[in-house]
Amino acid sequence: MTGIAASSDIAGRTVRRGLRLSALGFVGLAAVYVLALRYTPIEARQGLAQKIFYLHVPAAWSALLAFSLVGLASVLYLWLKDIRLDRFAAASAEVGVAFSAIMLTTGPIWAKPIWGTWWTWDARLTLTLFLFFLFIGYLALRAAVQDPAERARFSAVVGILGMLLVPFIHLSVYLFRTLHPQPIVLKPSAPSLPPEMLRTLLVSTIVFTVLYVGFVTTRYGLALVADLREAEELPDGH
Amino acid sequence: MAGWPVLNTFRLTLVIAAKDVRAELRSRTALLSALVFAALVLVIFNFARDPTLVAATTLAPSVLWVTFALAAMVAMNRAFTVERENSALDGLLLAPVPREALFLGKLLANLAFVGAVELATLPLFTLFFNVSLWPALPGILGVTLLATIGFVAVGTIFSAMAVRTRFAELMLPVLLLPFMVPPLIGAVQVTSRLLAERPLSEMWGWLRLLALYDVVFVTLCALAFTAVVDE
Amino acid sequence: MVTEPPSNGEYLIAAYVVTTVLLVGYWVRLWRMAKKR
Repeated sequence: MTGIAASSDIAGRTVRRGLRLSALGFVGLAAVYVLALRYTPIEARQGLAQKIFYLHVPAAWSALLAFSLVGLASVLYLWLKDIRLDRFAAASAEVGVAFSAIMLTTGPIWAKPIWGTWWTWDARLTLTLFLFFLFIGYLALRAAVQDPAERARFSAVVGILGMLLVPFIHLSVYLFRTLHPQPIVLKPSAPSLPPEMLRTLLVSTIVFTVLYVGFVTTRYGLALVADLREAEELPDGH
Repeated sequence: MAGWPVLNTFRLTLVIAAKDVRAELRSRTALLSALVFAALVLVIFNFARDPTLVAATTLAPSVLWVTFALAAMVAMNRAFTVERENSALDGLLLAPVPREALFLGKLLANLAFVGAVELATLPLFTLFFNVSLWPALPGILGVTLLATIGFVAVGTIFSAMAVRTRFAELMLPVLLLPFMVPPLIGAVQVTSRLLAERPLSEMWGWLRLLALYDVVFVTLCALAFTAVVDE
Repeated sequence: MVTEPPSNGEYLIAAYVVTTVLLVGYWVRLWRMAKKR
């Protein structure tokens, strides 16, 4: 292994640990694929496409987890001013983009055969779309601000405002749907799941959480390296 | 006496707002560019629709609010850019002005600009689309105020940030877009019901959403303003 | 009456492929960043 991952300092160790943990997550993911594709029964009404559920729902969970932690880290940063919180928030936001992208792709791919349309403005999809936009805006802002302290403060403000926006988006979609009777649509998840489905979903959620932790750890380590490098380059060691 | 600090903050807010409004009236750039932009959007919408297919009243709320939203962003961006060019904010920051008052003052000034653009757009809209807003006017003015407060509050704090970044003109819309959605949805819903002369009970839920949004975000942005302007 | 479940396997494959590409792709990106000096 060359480069950052080869160094023995804490940043290098963090990166290595993150990469290894996520690799472990991929082993788990392979297991989930086997479970989802072979072990779980085929749903009568939705057919094979229903099995997208085992990826879409855990991805949603990871995206929401990523987002909530960005919000939490933002609040804590403005209170405690610890740069590590800002570094974590940035890592979590980037990983959140990846999981939101999975939701935004698997969602329509699932919706098309089941509901006949690529997109509906239902609560879940709409919320995911806005989560995605918020993440992108957050990362774009970070890229556009040079000073690390200013970047941390600005990001924290956006993180907190974003966190508070989510309930309002949810409320808007809810109001929209209750006052606009929608055509009756097949609900993607059955009212009570058979045990194979439930177990597979659970395993998948755990695997996606492991992937989240692995990715964020790696990203955090890489950010730490970048920050340390930047600190070395400044003559007065700011 | 308990009332004095609040009174001082209130007075400071008005002074700051007045200063900004006066500065804008002198240069008029933000106001004019936003007005021209609004007119342009209305013209495009007019040519884009087929009058035999879509009734003007059906389209009216959406057209109106897209115009308001875009013009508001133009106005807010220009206002802050002008200020940065004059380095006026730096001087103000050195004084012991409570940051909340600074924010509220800027919010009021921005509301005045955006409000002026919206008020000027209404007759233009009536002219181009032949939709009479007169019977529903008080309601429309009310919901316009409610929704505008919401996205101008977030827009004010974001433009304070955007102006310090490399791609200021692009950064404001990118950041602001998700935050405009609840006020815009609420505004369009209420406006369309007002034009259709529906009873108040059908709008109540949306109006409460708008009001709650305003309270939450004006408070939050006022408190967060110090994190943006102070080191 | 027993009805056949709809045949929509291509969507299933598409979703699983996209997910794999996104997850592995992100990991590869992180790995490449780690390999640089």
